[in-house]
Amino acid sequence: MPPFLQFVIRRFLVVPISLVLITLLLYSGVMLTPPEGRASLYYPPKMNPNMTEEQLLHFQETIIKRYHLRDPFLVQYGYWVQSLFDGTWGYSPSISESVLPALLKRTPVTLELAMYSLLFLVPIGLVSGVSAGWRRSGTYDRVFRTIAFLGTTTPSFILALVLLSTFYINLGWFAPERISLTYSLELSKATFAHHTGLLTIDSLLNGRLDIFKDAWKHLAMPIFTLSLYHWATLARITRASMIDERPKEYILSARARGLSERRVVWRHAFRNMLAPSLTSIALSATSIITGVFVAEIIYDLNGVSTVIVAAMSGTPDAPAALGFAIYSVILVLALMFLLDVLQAALDPRVREGVLK
Amino acid sequence: MHRFKLFFSRWQNWIGILLILLYVSVAIAAPYLSPQDPRHPGMYLRVGRAVEARPLPPDEKAILGMLPFGFDVYHSLVWGSRDALEFGLIVTVCTAVFGILYGAIAGIASARLGTWMLRIADAFLAFPPIAGFVFLQQLFLTSMASMGSLGFFSPFFRQTGDAQASVPFIQYLLEKVNPLMLSLIVFSWMPYARLVNSIVLTLKQSDFIQAARALGASPFWIVRKHLIQNATGPAMVLAARDVGGVVLLQATLTFIRLGGDSVWGSMLSQGRNWVIGPGGTLLTYWWVFLPPTIAVMVFGIAWNIVGDGLSDLYNVR
Repeated sequence: MPPFLQFVIRRFLVVPISLVLITLLLYSGVMLTPPEGRASLYYPPKMNPNMTEEQLLHFQETIIKRYHLRDPFLVQYGYWVQSLFDGTWGYSPSISESVLPALLKRTPVTLELAMYSLLFLVPIGLVSGVSAGWRRSGTYDRVFRTIAFLGTTTPSFILALVLLSTFYINLGWFAPERISLTYSLELSKATFAHHTGLLTIDSLLNGRLDIFKDAWKHLAMPIFTLSLYHWATLARITRASMIDERPKEYILSARARGLSERRVVWRHAFRNMLAPSLTSIALSATSIITGVFVAEIIYDLNGVSTVIVAAMSGTPDAPAALGFAIYSVILVLALMFLLDVLQAALDPRVREGVLK
Repeated sequence: MHRFKLFFSRWQNWIGILLILLYVSVAIAAPYLSPQDPRHPGMYLRVGRAVEARPLPPDEKAILGMLPFGFDVYHSLVWGSRDALEFGLIVTVCTAVFGILYGAIAGIASARLGTWMLRIADAFLAFPPIAGFVFLQQLFLTSMASMGSLGFFSPFFRQTGDAQASVPFIQYLLEKVNPLMLSLIVFSWMPYARLVNSIVLTLKQSDFIQAARALGASPFWIVRKHLIQNATGPAMVLAARDVGGVVLLQATLTFIRLGGDSVWGSMLSQGRNWVIGPGGTLLTYWWVFLPPTIAVMVFGIAWNIVGDGLSDLYNVR
């Protein structure tokens, strides 16, 4: 088996372990509530709101019996995990939908945002960091450092306010929400086929360039908001490792052999110093996903975070919160996995297991 | 002391420290700078008319203008710095202490236990604090609701010992402790643990630790005297940046009205529709936008400068 495939499989096997550890942790949180509270995880859709107290008690008692909610922790955990596989993850009263379908329905929005942000910020972060580190203390480096510093210290919501006021209210170039009203009607027509759920791709598949343009008009601001901070962190780390790499002897020897500057940087130095940068961005996968949720909420994108916004609006909604927690953990684990695989694809030392 | 001197040899670090001192002094002097109304004590002071939905510009009653519905900007700005410092420092200190201890213990424990402890830390690393926060908040609401209609003293609750034991605990935990604070502590100690763990693992092989062990020092003494002292410096780099980061996150969550009670974030959230209102620029209602924005950003910048300054000393990124 090629070492790359071996690495991917070995790395993939870590995911279920993390998932089990996290669900154990989450369920131990659930155990802090009384059994009657835990019963609300298993409530069926559309409960009769006019139930008397005795009926409710009786109902809770049947659920408690059925899912063994007074049994020891691990027994309860087992029944709960089993119940996850029925594909509903409980019924959320605040959005009046089952949790998992509600999350899956909104996933394309979140995916679009996260995917495009990463596609922008990772290459730009690496390239700008490398160039800044190569010519340390030059004019470019100074400008770079100022912008990157501002990028790490500007909170996303303030950036969002600035962008919304400038580009939405005053210039009208970009807009919040998912799609303009005129096009949202088009989308619900039968003539528009939803292949992937990603508007930017679906519109192209349907040959509708106007919808494609409109989708980007609505994506530009969230993507920029999300990317700036993570671009800055990534680029700063890349710059620092470039500075570490610069005085090494293989660079000196490459230069002495008369290779062009570009070749030395991108062929020799770049691949050697990728590891710390990609590791750091894999470690900040949580904060990227958090950033995605925040950007979605600020720009009204109606992505998966709609579920928690609804859940936080008053009525207690444990199924939504728990489902969202599991879901976001899966997102993070997938992102980490992808970034690690990317690292292994780019750096042979990682996939051979030489570099930990 | 060498490091101390090096730290203060840079002008940037001076700026960072001075800015932090400024926030600290404003936080301490808050009751003198802007006394609270004894009838409605709190972070918000109403100086204008409650029916005035338009934010009024600065005048003699409110030197920095008013938010919608007559709340004083200056008052919230001053008290907000106390709130932010309190929140940032409590979260960071708790996180750092727990993370350092965890990392050190994982470092000196047997290889198998250490690996498992790190694996658990890695599992935590996959947990977005925002989801954790919502989760904790909903747990609290759920356990409250399950008692709600029944009442705490109903005979039903007395029968179930389980409920009796757990309800007061979670009630205590989530009523006394800010849920956002708690979830940030629970879900952000991992970087410290990883950092300290790697330091401990390298130090364990070093001569002076070997010597201490040969002299018969107990492992806990070694951790306390040598390992933690050597790991504190690098951990402080993370901590300095965290104070800023945690406060920014709190303000962000408050702004999107998901929870949290950052004063600065809530000021912007209240004035949001005026800041990005149609027909105006960002600065039409500048007294709504600029003061909290500058306060939040400078707070983050100050702690970041200090963090960067420290990272040069300890060679941590």
